[in-house]
Amino acid sequence: MNNVFENITILDLSEDVAGSFCARLFADFGANVLKIEPSKGSKLRKSGPFFGNDPHHEKSFPFFIHNLNKKSITLNIETKIGKSIFKDLASRSDLIIESYSPGYLKSIDLGFSDLEKLNPKLSLTSITPFGQTGPYKNYKSSELINYAMSLIMSISGIQGQQPLKHAGLQAEYEGGLFGAGATAMSLFKTDLTGIGEHIDVSITECVASTMMASQSIYPFIGGTQTRRKSEGSNSGQAAQATKDGWVVWQTGGGASWEDISEFFESPELLEPKFADRAQRISNGPEMDEIVENYMKTKGKWELFYKASEARMLFGVAQTPAELMECEQLKSRDFFHEIEHPYLGKVKVPAELFKYSHTPYKLRYPAPILGQDNIEIFENNLGYSRQQIIQMKELGVI
Amino acid sequence: MTNKNLNSKPLEGLRVLDSTYVFALPYAGGHLADLGAEVIKIEGPSRPDVTRTGGYAGVFPENDHGEDWWNRPSTFNLINRGKNSVTLNMAEEEGRELFRELVKISDVVMENFTPRVMKGWGLDYPNLKKLNPNIIMISNTGYGHGDGPYSSYPSQATTAELSHGMANLTGYENGPPSKSGASFVDFLATWTAIFALGGALKYRNQTGKGQWIDIGMYQTGVMFISEYLLDSQLNGHEPERIGNKSPYRAPQNCYPTKGSDQWIAISVDSDEEWQTLCNIIGSDSTSELSKFPHLSDRIKNHDVIDQHITNWTSDKDKYDVMHLLQDNGIAAGPVINSKDIHYDEHYKARNFLEKVDYPEDRKMGTRLFLGRPYKLSKHPLHITKPAPKFGDHNEYYLKTILGIDDETYDSLYERGLIADVPGDREPSPTFDPAKRVESKNLADWDPDYKHNLGI
Repeated sequence: MNNVFENITILDLSEDVAGSFCARLFADFGANVLKIEPSKGSKLRKSGPFFGNDPHHEKSFPFFIHNLNKKSITLNIETKIGKSIFKDLASRSDLIIESYSPGYLKSIDLGFSDLEKLNPKLSLTSITPFGQTGPYKNYKSSELINYAMSLIMSISGIQGQQPLKHAGLQAEYEGGLFGAGATAMSLFKTDLTGIGEHIDVSITECVASTMMASQSIYPFIGGTQTRRKSEGSNSGQAAQATKDGWVVWQTGGGASWEDISEFFESPELLEPKFADRAQRISNGPEMDEIVENYMKTKGKWELFYKASEARMLFGVAQTPAELMECEQLKSRDFFHEIEHPYLGKVKVPAELFKYSHTPYKLRYPAPILGQDNIEIFENNLGYSRQQIIQMKELGVI
Repeated sequence: MTNKNLNSKPLEGLRVLDSTYVFALPYAGGHLADLGAEVIKIEGPSRPDVTRTGGYAGVFPENDHGEDWWNRPSTFNLINRGKNSVTLNMAEEEGRELFRELVKISDVVMENFTPRVMKGWGLDYPNLKKLNPNIIMISNTGYGHGDGPYSSYPSQATTAELSHGMANLTGYENGPPSKSGASFVDFLATWTAIFALGGALKYRNQTGKGQWIDIGMYQTGVMFISEYLLDSQLNGHEPERIGNKSPYRAPQNCYPTKGSDQWIAISVDSDEEWQTLCNIIGSDSTSELSKFPHLSDRIKNHDVIDQHITNWTSDKDKYDVMHLLQDNGIAAGPVINSKDIHYDEHYKARNFLEKVDYPEDRKMGTRLFLGRPYKLSKHPLHITKPAPKFGDHNEYYLKTILGIDDETYDSLYERGLIADVPGDREPSPTFDPAKRVESKNLADWDPDYKHNLGI
């Protein structure tokens, strides 16, 4: 065995980032993942940013990145033939991953109770904003709504201003990764019993589950956490300016307060008013002024290396372009290179972590729409060319 | 070893040595316990987890340190639910020897020391494998093991959020880079560990081989901004900070509602939805707003539109706005804070928060904690028991499981190799919540929380 999931076959019906990323993680570590798209292509193909800012269905970066290592067919699962082909595929698979509004698959007779009859070892992972049950299950959502409803925004940003969401699609990514974690655990159990199950993943609960320090304050003392104050760095909660960019630092990494005072070349930091954490917070603006006066004369990288060597906790705000050149990421084989027919040669953010015995492999780029129709329909399922043409005409594929 | 019975939980029979600190892997251990694993939290007798003692501990029940303050903090208790606790001084060879004996009878070892530590102790993967050939080891560090330039650097989520590229993309328009109010990247490592372990267990099940999982939190954070990396690499585009807006949906923002610091998020996807929203807002605004039928108009005139929406939302209840807009097919949701989540009808219907009853002698009553963000249809899960007292299972593991005699055990105790009280540590301070609200360190304080929660 070269890969942990190499004996697993997955059908990926998902049209969003969360489900697609989840399926990609399994594909990254060896699973055979078949993306099943409607004949016009997955909705994710319409998501920007796009290569060359051209909204072409093969040029979506989110589609590209979340469908690495997968094959793809088109199939209209609402047609009678499409449904029967899907059931045929499901009877030979281990897992289906989907992101439809709860109840949709059941309404077309492809709910978990229909599918498990075909194949008892089959599991179904559903990843949706609010999960499969509860009053909001069919509510519409988006990244902002997912973030708003899961505590994290209530404590992010500045008091007196709007709660602030993280950039990009963090809730979707979390839904994908956490959903993959729950699914991997369930698949391990299926290995032991031969019986699959329905795994219901809620994206908002994924984000909310990270709010352990915040949630537990209420049932312990009745407090509600808030955002940081506008003034002061609040001990590492706000970025501070250097000559050429932004940094953040904190105590607690192994450097003593004396080391830190020495790092900033500011003996006044040893005065009693900065002696402990509480004092450094209440006298924060004054401390910030000392520190910022020093840092605005230095470059962010110079400070980062010097601080890290002094065992300080120190972060440097990196741009995407800087990260693309990061030597640490290179040393970890984070990027792998691959050729894509529309995007050309791409350095792909690839390895999430390392297994000692079963290393990550970038096998293929994201699939072109309908790329594997012939291989799957003809070679795997045994349809003739004639039948495939007919299915095309009927709008099945 | 694991259990083939369909009715048993996924990880029943699996023994995990959890020698980890702070948030990331300790929380993974808590989740493994929910899944049925026997998780043994290992702490140094004078090196308790920082969630017991330091600035990360959170708060104490009713602000009371109690007699055993180190067993009572909120954050510690949430993260470490369902575990057993053993204290062991790993800095001493005798402590490491006991750890090795535990490795021999375990399935998984988790640790988050800086890369040189386990190696220095002779407890890195090659050495653990000699003790137990099919052991699975999970290591989590700031930057990952290996010979990279940052591998030996200290790191923590707060500072990492800038380095892994998130903060530079996040922030109010025209403002500085901003980070979330929580330790964001820790939880990416938590779930990377759970996913990686699931794969390693499947692999071991089929090949009989264990392996080493090496997680660097830094790269898990970078992975989560992948589309920005492609946009920079292939389009040469460096994005600006845009607050809560989106280049693809407009209007999209957070709007104030009735009450103090109450907000509704609204996110319009299509021209049709926009028309619906205009009709709902109604009155004077309709003619003004109908000037912006298309996405590009709405992006250009976002601030004008925001003003109209704000005028409409500011005297309404955030939940009422959500239900009204959702009933009309528009994505909207309130900003839910750490109080709201306890009363929200959806989270309640899904039993997302779980009640944990403490035994009488813990004097902690009943508390509610975050459960899991997933449900398994054939394996209903719940938090199995409260987080353990410091060293509460020393006797069980050392005497009953490893078979150490009373005399040796007492001697270990006397020499400080094991303990049930962490050596000369101070509890994190308690505070008056009303004053914290006054000084704006808390948004709100509900003195009747126990009654309101029914605990």
